[in-house]
Amino acid sequence: MIDTLTMMILLGAFLFTTGVVIIVTKKNAIMMLLGIELMLNASNINLVAFNQSHPATIDGQMFAIFVILVAVCETAIGLALVLRVYQYYQTSVPDELNELKG
Amino acid sequence: MQESVDTILQGIKWIIPEIILATAFLVILVIGLIKRGNSLVKGLTIIVFAGVFILVASDLYTTSPIVFGMLRVESVSSFIKLLLNFSALFTCLISTRVKEHLSEYFAFLIAIVLGAHLLTMTSNFLMIFISIEIISISSYVLAGYAFDKKGAEGSLKYFLFGSVSAAVMLYGFTFLYGLTGTIDFANQTFTSALLDSQNALAYLSIFFVFAGFLFKISSSPMHFWAPDVYNAAPAPVVAFFSTVPKLAGLVVFVKFLLAINLFGQTSLNWQLYLAAIAIATITVGNFAALKQNSVKRMMAYSSIAQAGFLMIGLIVFLPQGIHFFLFYATAFVIGNLLVFLYINSFENGGTTTIAEYAGFGRTFAIPIVFLLIGLVSLTGLPPTAGFTAKLFLFSSVWTAFEQQGHTILMVLLIVGLLNTVVSLFYYLRIPYYAFLKDGKPAFSHNILHFENFLGAFLVVMLLILFFQPGLLMSWINKINFVL
Repeated sequence: MIDTLTMMILLGAFLFTTGVVIIVTKKNAIMMLLGIELMLNASNINLVAFNQSHPATIDGQMFAIFVILVAVCETAIGLALVLRVYQYYQTSVPDELNELKG
Repeated sequence: MQESVDTILQGIKWIIPEIILATAFLVILVIGLIKRGNSLVKGLTIIVFAGVFILVASDLYTTSPIVFGMLRVESVSSFIKLLLNFSALFTCLISTRVKEHLSEYFAFLIAIVLGAHLLTMTSNFLMIFISIEIISISSYVLAGYAFDKKGAEGSLKYFLFGSVSAAVMLYGFTFLYGLTGTIDFANQTFTSALLDSQNALAYLSIFFVFAGFLFKISSSPMHFWAPDVYNAAPAPVVAFFSTVPKLAGLVVFVKFLLAINLFGQTSLNWQLYLAAIAIATITVGNFAALKQNSVKRMMAYSSIAQAGFLMIGLIVFLPQGIHFFLFYATAFVIGNLLVFLYINSFENGGTTTIAEYAGFGRTFAIPIVFLLIGLVSLTGLPPTAGFTAKLFLFSSVWTAFEQQGHTILMVLLIVGLLNTVVSLFYYLRIPYYAFLKDGKPAFSHNILHFENFLGAFLVVMLLILFFQPGLLMSWINKINFVL
């Protein structure tokens, strides 16, 4: 039987890998945003789980709250940028943007 | 309760510059809400940066106790803060072409400097993550400040790349926290716990953390965003990006390196990997810059290569390495600002490719000569500060090679020297076109008095640092670097 900490770390690793796979395989910028969100949440699970093995302080849980906050800001900026790209190019697929070549 | 309030109140006096920056950020945003397109904000921002510069300079060598358990004022971060505010001030002075959303523009500049200040002062994973995100999120917006197709594309690509590397870095932080039980890497607990767990997981998480840092300093293999973003963003923003986040990232990187090096007791030779990264960065940057036509793209690769040179000061793991890093950083900031000063003013006239500089030497004699001096300094030739800085760096690599005897340091030295020669070819292309090719400038208004005044100031600084490097070195030598 695996203990809870290992299970949580494995869950985090699974989420992180899923996020990376989404970012690499999906072409749409909004799907990539979802992948980034999964990667950040994998870190949150890790932080909260590791906090249980270091119970002297609540550093990990504090960290997780800040990460949630930053993730929200990042998504807001990201969606705004996708929207602006859509206004110019009528697409939200980064591979189809080709003004910058060098 | 009363005790912790007292501690917080005592800590406030150490972070007055940061409080000023945070307040100014809010004030400028509010001014922008009340009155759009107000030119007052530019003056206010310049005053803020100048004020913070003077405030930091007046108190350069103080070392504070740890403020709020998160920040620590010490002389290396204070010195870098001077450079940050200097280039921010300069960026404000040359941002003449930005007309739309003026108050947000200056507010974002202040936010990036605030994030960079915090990044240089901290050794706490939470604080590092937040300051890197402050810098990144503001940078994503500033990158698109040209308000055109290219700008939108550049900032979206920057955003995707930046968020992924920040997420990878955060994942590395969580494992380091799990292994050591602390989120402060300057803590004694961190080093002793890391010493006990020298395993693959620790190494892997440290490499994950490198991803975030290398992205911020635009070093290979995380440099792919730089050319696109630099090409799309307005020239003052590029001047800002190529100095401020890079230096702040390098300062926190050197602290992290000293922590994970565990006073030389680590079982993995970090020097080898870092030297390999620096060699790759210098080579990729220089060789890619050779075949660029756009001036800003060339400068993007040049700043990648310079990031590799800046890393050399950290890799040697010697006390004087940090001093020479600070000297190199000063020379790099001055030279880079001088080059971007004129790239910006020529871009305002519509010149963006190197070939379009043909014939500029006759119309704009003084600007091109000053530009030449800046480029020579970036190359590292006498009589400019860049030469002295490169000499110091390479001599520190030689000293480290003699002391530690690692072959990789010799390779680093040779590759660095050869790349200096390579960089000559692309840096001197602009003066070559300007002086030796015939052509007619697309614009002829020869009123660059303000630029020439600023340029003369920077040129004099570059020359002084060459002829009297002792002036700055005696300053830097008083800096005592402890983790």
